[in-house]
Amino acid sequence: MSEQSKDVCDPNSAAEASSSEVNSSPGVPGVLSPPASQAATLAGPETPPLGPTDALLASPPPQAPSEEGDPKALQQASEEGRAHQAPSAAQPGPAPPAPAQLVQKAHELMWYVLVKDQKRMIIWFPDMVKDVIGSYKKWCRSILRRTSLILARVFGLHLRLTSLHTMEFSLVKALEPEELDRVALSNRMPMTGLLLMILSLIYVKGRGARESAVWNVLRILGLRPWKKHSTFGDVRKLITEEFVQQNYLKYQRVPHAEPPEYEFFWGSRASREITKMQIMEFLARVFKKDPQAWPSRYREALEEARALREADPSAHCPRSSVSED
Amino acid sequence: MEEGRAERRRRTEAPSHTQGGPRRAGVMTDVHRRFLQLLMTHGVLEEWDVRRLQKHCYRVHDRTAAVEELEDFINNINSVLESLYIEIKKGATEDDGRPVYALVNLATTSVSKMASDFAENELDLFRKALELIIDSETGFASSTNILNLVDQLKGKKMRKKEAEQVLQKFVQNKWLIEKEGEFTLHSRAILEMEQYIRETYPDAVKICNICHSLLIQGQSCETCGIRMHLPCVAKYFQSNSEPRCPHCNDYWPHEIPEVFDPEKEREAGTSRATKRSLRSRQH
Repeated sequence: MSEQSKDVCDPNSAAEASSSEVNSSPGVPGVLSPPASQAATLAGPETPPLGPTDALLASPPPQAPSEEGDPKALQQASEEGRAHQAPSAAQPGPAPPAPAQLVQKAHELMWYVLVKDQKRMIIWFPDMVKDVIGSYKKWCRSILRRTSLILARVFGLHLRLTSLHTMEFSLVKALEPEELDRVALSNRMPMTGLLLMILSLIYVKGRGARESAVWNVLRILGLRPWKKHSTFGDVRKLITEEFVQQNYLKYQRVPHAEPPEYEFFWGSRASREITKMQIMEFLARVFKKDPQAWPSRYREALEEARALREADPSAHCPRSSVSED
Repeated sequence: MEEGRAERRRRTEAPSHTQGGPRRAGVMTDVHRRFLQLLMTHGVLEEWDVRRLQKHCYRVHDRTAAVEELEDFINNINSVLESLYIEIKKGATEDDGRPVYALVNLATTSVSKMASDFAENELDLFRKALELIIDSETGFASSTNILNLVDQLKGKKMRKKEAEQVLQKFVQNKWLIEKEGEFTLHSRAILEMEQYIRETYPDAVKICNICHSLLIQGQSCETCGIRMHLPCVAKYFQSNSEPRCPHCNDYWPHEIPEVFDPEKEREAGTSRATKRSLRSRQH
């Protein structure tokens, strides 16, 4: 059948594969599966548009029995199986690789993902396929599942599809309590401290922070846009390019401003990884004040903390009754 | 396939060897997992950082448990990582023997760890620098000599000015150390790439006579030519008033460095800031 040639993995089904296996960790919602029509619009740059059938043909036949434990995944698997019995049964296809080879690929993918995350680079699904999975594209679902399993059990990390639209994955900590571990080792503090400084400025202002305002604050730390710093290097490049690339900050032109001016906003990654309460704690530490010295911001932080707790009641399991550092 | 077995094991705290087989591995708890996460995040850590990290992980996940001896703790984790072809490797800085740790991939036999960070011509620049460092007598390659090779790089043409910045990027990412305009390998690079280097340059590579590991910087016997790492020299000749070459017994002509003592470091009471700036110069 002609569909056999379109053997590119659908990141969404692969993400389902990864999420359905790691439900043993507390407080992590599974990735919701979008309607089938959305899957059809997922097209890599060189490949023809995928339909839901392609996603199924891309995965090895015996899917349903191995997906134990998650009732939702089971239901999905059986639904898919029911809907598409005929095509998958009729396909001879190339011989599947030996299990050991798939295992090796899973290990390679695990390391690839860990290194990307270490460098704070985007884990992009097409890159994963191109750089690691390669000719094993048809089995990428099973490879991804195994990788997610290993990452969860050995590292306590979830490989999660964070954006279906951009096909980005990220490694999310599955351990409780979630906190800025970086702060625990202060030799990383410089980078984090710099970022937190800017994020907290933006937060306190309640809107974007103009570049000039940011430099006023950084001047207190002895940082100037034109001076190279012994730890940070080119500070301006760091905050306007690197932090932006890593999605911690957004750097945008102020509309209608002449001469041109730019302002900073929180990036999507900052919103994901850093809570308002953490910002308040940072401010309290830096200014040696009580967080309630910023009453409206503190209230916001409390609100957010309460909303997070309600969204994830299992996030506070008794095992981690210890107080944070 | 092993998937059924792997899933069943997931429910218990059992080891994660996905290859099956009767290998007995240690038990992974959240303490170990967090430790691994943080070690991976930092790339390479000195021993005192690693100990703090370990204590932090216990504090967060298992306050009641006694903190296991670091070596056992790491061996425990490594037995689980074995089937994944990665390990927590311990090395030492070549200039003053500070123990360092990094999570390394044993399966890679190329500079692939850096591959995702750098462009083709940048990677090639690193390879050129690496070759010069390995071939050199001192373990250092001068900036000038590296930059002169800029025309031979693969990929997009790179100017010398650009290459200077790329070299600085390598320093910042802890692949190279710069000292007075010369470059050598960071302990992280040695830890991660030792296997690759020994396989790729089997004739040019230097080995320490004492620990038999890769040697970039060290001292050599002027008579028979054997080499030793500075910290290996320190340990071997400790409290020996007449140091002699272990191979040819000739008088050892170099100054014997002090053995690295973590206790003395702490007692010296150097502030964190000074230590950091010191380290950033040496490492």
